[in-house]
Amino acid sequence: MKKRQTLLYMAPAVVLIVAFFLFPLCYLIYLSFFEWNGLGEKIFIGIDNFKYIVSDPVFRTALKNTIIWLLAALFIHIPFGLLLALILNRKPKGWKFMRVMYFIPNVISTTAVAFLWYFIYHVDVGLLNNMLKAVGLGRLTHAWLNDPGTALVCNIVPFVLYAGLTMIIFLTQLSTIPKELYEAAVVDGATSIQVDLKVYLPLVKPAIITNIMLNLAFCLRTFEYPFLMTGGGPANSTMNLSLYIYKEMVGANRYGISMAAGLVTVLLGMVIMVFVNILQKERKSHYEK
Amino acid sequence: MKNRKTTPARVMLYVFMFLVLILMLVPFLWLVLSSFRPNADLFNAPFEAPKHLSFDNYIAVMKSHPMVLYFLNSVVIAALATVLSICAATLASYAMMHKFRTKKALTVLLFMCLFIPTNAFMVPYYVMINKIGLYDSVLGIALVYAGVNLPMSFMVIKGYMDTIPLELLESAKIDGADSGQAFRKIVLPISKPGIVTACVFLVINSWNELLFANLLNQSDSSRTIQVAIRSFLTTFEANYAYAFAAMVISILPTIVIYALLTDKIIGGMTAGAVKG
Repeated sequence: MKKRQTLLYMAPAVVLIVAFFLFPLCYLIYLSFFEWNGLGEKIFIGIDNFKYIVSDPVFRTALKNTIIWLLAALFIHIPFGLLLALILNRKPKGWKFMRVMYFIPNVISTTAVAFLWYFIYHVDVGLLNNMLKAVGLGRLTHAWLNDPGTALVCNIVPFVLYAGLTMIIFLTQLSTIPKELYEAAVVDGATSIQVDLKVYLPLVKPAIITNIMLNLAFCLRTFEYPFLMTGGGPANSTMNLSLYIYKEMVGANRYGISMAAGLVTVLLGMVIMVFVNILQKERKSHYEK
Repeated sequence: MKNRKTTPARVMLYVFMFLVLILMLVPFLWLVLSSFRPNADLFNAPFEAPKHLSFDNYIAVMKSHPMVLYFLNSVVIAALATVLSICAATLASYAMMHKFRTKKALTVLLFMCLFIPTNAFMVPYYVMINKIGLYDSVLGIALVYAGVNLPMSFMVIKGYMDTIPLELLESAKIDGADSGQAFRKIVLPISKPGIVTACVFLVINSWNELLFANLLNQSDSSRTIQVAIRSFLTTFEANYAYAFAAMVISILPTIVIYALLTDKIIGGMTAGAVKG
């Protein structure tokens, strides 16, 4: 194929990448040094936007909560998905059915899921409080989303629970592991749990890396849960970076501050990506030994 | 696994599997059931066997809001975004089968874009779409979706094309096929499963997106179903049963797509994920 033709084939993708990634990134960096309400004149103010967000307690909460989301993904969501995958990997009766069922929540919009859970936590009509009452635990009923102590956890629960996609990625990797390894281990007298821990776990590392990247990217982008369930409240206890960017832009018309927070979010994403890539490289060199 | 004895451990395994299933899906069943019940029952008798099941909530929602229009907007946006993004990704993946100078750099760039939190680009997208006069139009929203989802489409489709042996292209060249013919006759048919999977992901993603659809919308003419149900949260504050019906309407298409294409979706994950 001639050079010119190759470039022609690349052109549409390059145009989209420039228009929706590279240009916005430059524009975002540019705007973060200006004071702008979206309509009037842009005023250059140096790093004042960054100074402001660093001292803004709401931004700090947003950053802290985003990190809590990331930690929940790493230490609860991904291990839960792995557990489900290891269970289905033993091919119990009906495992294919379970695999299909566990994935259903992942094709439903986060909007609907967040909205649904808003009603589950609802004080009067909510499934949770009514269930508690039905089993005689009425004293535990709670205004789940109105209490700063429980609101953030309530925001994260649906994400942690719906581990279908994470599970599928693990299952796919598990299905590539040759059966002989399992049989050899059983012949050597290993129990099922030992096989899971000593044979399968080390071999699904690539899927762990994939899942870490996908889930961390999801957590940085998560917007619907706090936006629809709590609006960032009560007392900003569920605020995260995406919602902070949104509120500074749409609510407060402070585009410069919004973009300074946006830049922090992008940088956080890049730091994570570089870090995970280093992990991946180590894995590769480990294999080559 | 030859000896399938019913050991306590095995029973525990099944109990756990079913518990997870119940935890995951009962909320959705509750939602569907509630959408057929009158609002008063939801408050007064949440756990009684539902007596008054009817389509009243659905009829009321359809009458009070232009649901068909919102639905069509979502369909048009999902279709436009998918066609644009998949075409660009397929052509680029094909180009990547050949050698050229910036290939490595472009691949790395596309891979990095996969992990850029695009939510940070709210202001740039808003300003850009306004500047080209596409604010409050389905085309504007579709363009953003096509761009945002391009890295994902590219990774899925390229994952498939990577499995095509380059000798196939060589032999086609020897037989006198030009690059366009090789693309249409050889590469496209082989990578069809990957393209279909990417399409399904894109349609589902576009159907489900809320943030940009909300940000770039003002009037009914470009309002998607997700933005519509979001506004129900405020306008239907007192009548939850209506809101439930609206939610079921918004969920239905993706569930139907999933039911019809389960193998494509779950099988398609395989191609991308294995490479890690």
